[in-house]
Amino acid sequence: MHGEEEDVFDSVTWESASAPYDVDHTAMQAGPGFKQSTAGAEEPHGPHDPKWEGYLITIVKDPVKELPETKDAYVSYLVAAKTNLPIFSSQTPSARRRFQDFVFLRDHLVKDFPACVVPVLPDKHRLEYITGDRFSPEFMERRRLELHRFLQRIARHPMLQRSTLLRAFLESTEWHVYMHQHLAHPPGPEPAPGLIDNISDTLLNAFARVRKPDERFLEMRESVDKFEDGLVLSERLWNRIRGRTNDLMTDYHDLAVAVQGLGFLESGITDPLNHFSNTLLEFSALLRHKTQTSTDPFLVHLHSLLTYSHANRAVLKLRDQKQLDFEELSDYLSGVTLERDRLSAIISGHAGSSGLGLSAYLKDKVDAIRGADDDRSRVEKMRKLDIKIKELQDAVTTAHETSDAFSDETLREQKIFQHTKEAEMKEMLSNLADGEIEFYQSAIDEWDRIIPIIQRIRVDV
Amino acid sequence: MEAFEDDNPFENDVDRLSSEASSTSRVNISAPSSPPPSTAHLVSPTISHQSRPFPSPGTSRQPQPMYKSDFCCNRDRWLHSGGDVEILITDAQKTTVHSTTPYIVYVIQAGTAEARHRYSEFESLQSSLRKLYPTLIIPPIPSKQSISDYATNPSKAKEDVAMIARRKRMLQTFLNRIARHPILSNEHVFHRFLDGEVSWTEVLHSPPLSLLPKNILKAPSHNPTDQSVSPAYEALPNPSATYPLRHPEQRFIDSEMFTNKFANHLNGPMEKVSRRMLKRWSESAHDYSELGAALNGFSLNESGALASAIEKTGQAVDATYMSTTRLLQELEQNWAEPLHEYTQFASIIKKLLVYRHQKHVQYEMTKDTLENKRELLEEYEKSEREAKRLEEALARGRVDFSPRPEGQEENEGPEEPASAYLPPHPEPNPYRRRAPGMGFLNALSYTLHGMMDVDPETARRNGISKTRETISQLEDALHLAAQDLKYSGSTIQADLDRFQRQKVADLREMTISMARSHRDWCKKNLETWQAAKREIEKIPDHPNSMPATQSGKGAAGPSNTRRDSSATVNGR
Repeated sequence: MHGEEEDVFDSVTWESASAPYDVDHTAMQAGPGFKQSTAGAEEPHGPHDPKWEGYLITIVKDPVKELPETKDAYVSYLVAAKTNLPIFSSQTPSARRRFQDFVFLRDHLVKDFPACVVPVLPDKHRLEYITGDRFSPEFMERRRLELHRFLQRIARHPMLQRSTLLRAFLESTEWHVYMHQHLAHPPGPEPAPGLIDNISDTLLNAFARVRKPDERFLEMRESVDKFEDGLVLSERLWNRIRGRTNDLMTDYHDLAVAVQGLGFLESGITDPLNHFSNTLLEFSALLRHKTQTSTDPFLVHLHSLLTYSHANRAVLKLRDQKQLDFEELSDYLSGVTLERDRLSAIISGHAGSSGLGLSAYLKDKVDAIRGADDDRSRVEKMRKLDIKIKELQDAVTTAHETSDAFSDETLREQKIFQHTKEAEMKEMLSNLADGEIEFYQSAIDEWDRIIPIIQRIRVDV
Repeated sequence: MEAFEDDNPFENDVDRLSSEASSTSRVNISAPSSPPPSTAHLVSPTISHQSRPFPSPGTSRQPQPMYKSDFCCNRDRWLHSGGDVEILITDAQKTTVHSTTPYIVYVIQAGTAEARHRYSEFESLQSSLRKLYPTLIIPPIPSKQSISDYATNPSKAKEDVAMIARRKRMLQTFLNRIARHPILSNEHVFHRFLDGEVSWTEVLHSPPLSLLPKNILKAPSHNPTDQSVSPAYEALPNPSATYPLRHPEQRFIDSEMFTNKFANHLNGPMEKVSRRMLKRWSESAHDYSELGAALNGFSLNESGALASAIEKTGQAVDATYMSTTRLLQELEQNWAEPLHEYTQFASIIKKLLVYRHQKHVQYEMTKDTLENKRELLEEYEKSEREAKRLEEALARGRVDFSPRPEGQEENEGPEEPASAYLPPHPEPNPYRRRAPGMGFLNALSYTLHGMMDVDPETARRNGISKTRETISQLEDALHLAAQDLKYSGSTIQADLDRFQRQKVADLREMTISMARSHRDWCKKNLETWQAAKREIEKIPDHPNSMPATQSGKGAAGPSNTRRDSSATVNGR
């Protein structure tokens, strides 16, 4: 187990190569080469191309209400998978998990893989907890679908799919034990916090902007923005159309009733008019059916994809933060270095010619008035500054490495996200198109059926 | 009625009608308490008529050329040429001819003739026809307040394009409905409207329109402009539309009830729902166009297969917008507008039935008045006889009676004028109601009064001759009323039958076209969605999927899940 763990986290170690960003699509398509170790994985791909070691297809199904009739009742879901990943002991692992377990899985994946886009879990839906509706079949089915999508996203991620946490989630019979272990001994090297975090925390300015923006990320950011805009706009408009369709549904129903009423009045053609009324009713039912089985799921998925994209954006922001850390630290370092240089210049008697400008001159004057203008204190100060500079240099180096590594990871993460996005868009649009096609086909049948019936009305005009 | 197939039904019919009607009225008078036998008489022609194929708007022109030999003008000849004639409104132009403010003229093409008329002239043609033919269902013209603005936003602008287009369509329908009407199509006024050679004002100020009476209730039903009509028409009462009938005709009660229900249903549920539906479709169309644009923009941001899939989806949505706009237009033209037309028809028929009702009331009132007059006359004659007898008796013994007249006169005096001038109203004589036994006393007092009067003989004689005169006038009026009632009853019934067939045919057309429009709409959208679906299929699958070699066993996994969510979609 330990070996596997190492294996998994090796892949997370950041590669600092700055190879071309372009993706070799064909190479990637052949991608899921069955390499069991990540050690040699760099060669055939660009460094930012994601690699899939194998497949992991997950299903969340069969929600069951556990401990019913007690106040501790909860819903468990059957989590099953098909895989050829060597990390799994079985090709078809499965387990029953509850919502809280999913929460644990996500929280710890986020912690363990800060640079990965970990999908978002559905809301807790507090309202349903209060009203007790959380055991209604609709609610359970909706949540099942959301959890399914969540797990599918993780499974599609080339790194997350091989995490030990996920493995335990999918196959461990002692999940609770594992959870405690995981809490006690978090895997992987703790990213040494200390100085960087301390300093960066103090330097952190929410309004700061990256000064040397990386073109690639700017573009990426923009594309994510546009994607989200597209999703948001589509969602809004589709929701509106959904509302209209619902209205039309009512209208056709009402019209059917009205036509039936007309049939009662027109005794000669009651029968054909009743048929026509039925067609209108049927059309109304088809509209409802389309909304319920196609548009609604589509909208749910659309929204879910939007939250996933938010997670992606958060990672991008985190990357900016890392770069910002580095930049701020560098600034700080250069400031401190400057101060030390100035002091040393004063000591060596070149105060006047130091040419450091008005502020430094004023500072000297103030110091002189305060009587602190003696070389000893200056030397003391310089010694302190030297230590600080040393520290800062280390920090800047680390921050630089972190930033670079994070950037590389982000580039790869974007590819992964792109894949998942495409796959989900495909599923989403294809289901939607299926729904539309089915609706139109059935509707054509309905209308075609009624025309000859009406044509049979004898007219002696 | 043969009248309907006749090319000139009214003139030919009058003689026959009058003879029939006069006999009818006589029958009625002789047996006033029983339901008028004329009912049966009136019904029979219609019943026999119903079994015969009625000349309908569509086919009326086929049989007619056989009867029609004398065409009044070229338009008449063209209308009854036997072919499938269609009047077209080819254009609507803005013009300022004869006016300071611009208005719209509609260019009407009827065969070789071209006429230009503005909306108000259509309006006056319609109202003229209604006056000329009070017993026919004159087709409606689009309401002044454009038949609401289901789809387009209400715009006060006179030049509102949609409104003009709608009017153009509906005015054309109006003209063609007249052209296909078995009687109205023969109206020379209509021909002149189509011809456009004389200005419409001139037509309005020349016969027959200039001869229209002020009150069509006091004119013959078959031809209100008849100048040689008997003055007895003036004697007809002018009843209100709500005046109750004592012997209503069941079939017209039914007609009235049905028309009310029909009008309410059409005006209420049918039109309201249709309007709402059209509004909704137009909103949907707008949404689709927005969504289509949004998706196209969306696709620009993506690349590769995903981009073209989104683009195709956007195109499908765009196509839905186009097809919905089309559907909307078709629904408006082939569903909402005819529906509205029938609402108008219903109110026209209501008025028609009111007219008939008033004619019936006229008949009953006249009959009552006549009966009263006859009673009055009888009274006069009785008192005349009484007076003679008294005179004879008095001649024999005048002394016996002398003290009594004083007191008698004081008591009975005030009531005397009432009996002298019996109100010309259907109400029976109040005298008679009070007590039958008073008859003799009345007669006595009458006689005594007559004896007391300055010149009782002359007054009574005058009364008798006056009443006789009134009675003979009323007899004429009753005869005319019966004739009119019979004529309007049968004509309205016949036109209602024709209307019913036309309605069934139109409802058939409306529903078929609605079904077709929806089907075409579905077909168009189906095609584009199928194209979109093909493009969506081209998006590469996720790398994390079952390798092809294992797909036999493994593919069940993901496809199962997918079907889970879409099971309901496909399984209906």
